[in-house]
Amino acid sequence: MLVIVPTLDARAARAQSPAAPQPGRFEVAIGSLWTGHQALGSNDANETTSAGGSLTLFSTSSDLASAAGLEGRVGVRLRRRLEADVEASYARPPLRIAISNDFESAAPATATETIRQFTIGAGVVWYPPYRVRRGSRVAPFAMAGGGYLRQLHESAILLETGRFYQFGGGVKYLLASRPTRPLKGLGARLDVRALVRSKGIAFDGGHYTSPAIGASLFVRF
Amino acid sequence: MRRSLALALVAAMVFGSVQPALAYLKFGVTVGGAQMTLKWAQTPVRYFVTDQGVSGVSATDLQAAAGRAFATWQAVPTASIAYQFAGFTAAAPGRDDGLSTLGFRSRPELDRVLAATSFVVDAATGTLVESDIFFNSAFPWSVAPAGEANRYDFESIALHEIGHLGGLGHSALGETELREGGGRRVLGAEAVMFPIAFVAGSIAGRTLKADDIAGISDLYPDGDFNQALGSISGRVTKDGQPIFGAHVVAFDVARGSVVGTFSLNAQGDFSAGGLSPGPHVLRVEPIDDADVESFFEAARTVDVDFRVGFIDRIVVVPRGGDSGEITLRVVRK
Repeated sequence: MLVIVPTLDARAARAQSPAAPQPGRFEVAIGSLWTGHQALGSNDANETTSAGGSLTLFSTSSDLASAAGLEGRVGVRLRRRLEADVEASYARPPLRIAISNDFESAAPATATETIRQFTIGAGVVWYPPYRVRRGSRVAPFAMAGGGYLRQLHESAILLETGRFYQFGGGVKYLLASRPTRPLKGLGARLDVRALVRSKGIAFDGGHYTSPAIGASLFVRF
Repeated sequence: MRRSLALALVAAMVFGSVQPALAYLKFGVTVGGAQMTLKWAQTPVRYFVTDQGVSGVSATDLQAAAGRAFATWQAVPTASIAYQFAGFTAAAPGRDDGLSTLGFRSRPELDRVLAATSFVVDAATGTLVESDIFFNSAFPWSVAPAGEANRYDFESIALHEIGHLGGLGHSALGETELREGGGRRVLGAEAVMFPIAFVAGSIAGRTLKADDIAGISDLYPDGDFNQALGSISGRVTKDGQPIFGAHVVAFDVARGSVVGTFSLNAQGDFSAGGLSPGPHVLRVEPIDDADVESFFEAARTVDVDFRVGFIDRIVVVPRGGDSGEITLRVVRK
């Protein structure tokens, strides 16, 4: 999670006139999203002993590996410092199951498959009333949102669904600004998020949190 | 010592040959050149209990414990098999009288057989006519709720034999070690249908496991078995050649359950149904925790010359379908 730290103190912020929003009401962005690995827990293949206890046949430890994917986003400015976004993403993270501790000394192995993961969601972006300096092209923001998750196994024979939630923050940098033209601006966005997933591919029924970094180019209308 | 090594074996007294069918081990009969799975055509299956008890187990105790074991199989929600107690009888099990009968018989010469199940099959139609279970009164028995030291738990053994009566063969989901003087000791088992019983005094065999539930549901599917659950299938090869009798274990990573099956023909094909949808790990091993004859006819050549191993891909079981062809390549020892 990225915590936005104002670069100016409160007195400086008060002294500064309210920062003008970057131009344009609508924003369309496309870029990449890197999602960090998610540990999915450990499970043992057990047998029952005569006393009712457990004998471990072998152990497994699972994770969804980190992966880079595509992300698209459409935003609309609702208020001076508040924007609503609709976003979608696609990635192909590898699902890995490490197998070890075999009762009959089989060599450790890792079973893998590649998941096709789709998300669609919505969120809000809030621009704090601070600027790095007057007239800066950099606009820090905080974001939060959530949505729907679909994970399709490699053989495309089983679909798992779930939800995701995310929050974090980042900066937008305006590369070009033409407030009087229909295409009012072009910029780049970089953000860091905490991504929380529930359900979907889940081996212990819990929630899985991982870091995510998004980088995109946007245009404003 | 002798008694603790006892095996729970099945004896098949049929007119046709008994062969395994694909998926788990099920009994089959060959009728007119075609293989048929041995199963009850009509339910509930009516059974009788002999009116003779043994030391520590009266006829009434016998009937009550057998009734609990029948009820356990009948309670499987994805299987349609049902049983009905028809009454006590003076007839001993093993008689070809058209009645399925459970009871004690003294067979001290069978010093490693706790119990056995026999079948009578109509050779012309393959119809299962009768199935009897005898419990060897040469061993000490108990029906105590918490078990009894040095006595075999009747309900556990009955649960195993009733699995045979329903048409199931043996499962290889168990680990054993050789004992001095011969025989094996069970270290762990994850199927009531594992051929070697837990030690005397244990009641761990009173509960059906995922493997048992999948097997009986595969034989008598009911409810949403075919829609909600899925299957895996494929073949086992060594040096590019198919092998017979390899034990394939499917581990459901999300639920922690294991189900076993075998490669059961000359092409090395295996399949297992009744699996929960989701990712599975597949392990393949030679049969080495019980006599091969506990699973297959002696005439079949079972390949046990390969190492235990895992497939390096995750196998996904779909809902209401099959995983698609999987090839498990094993390596010579």
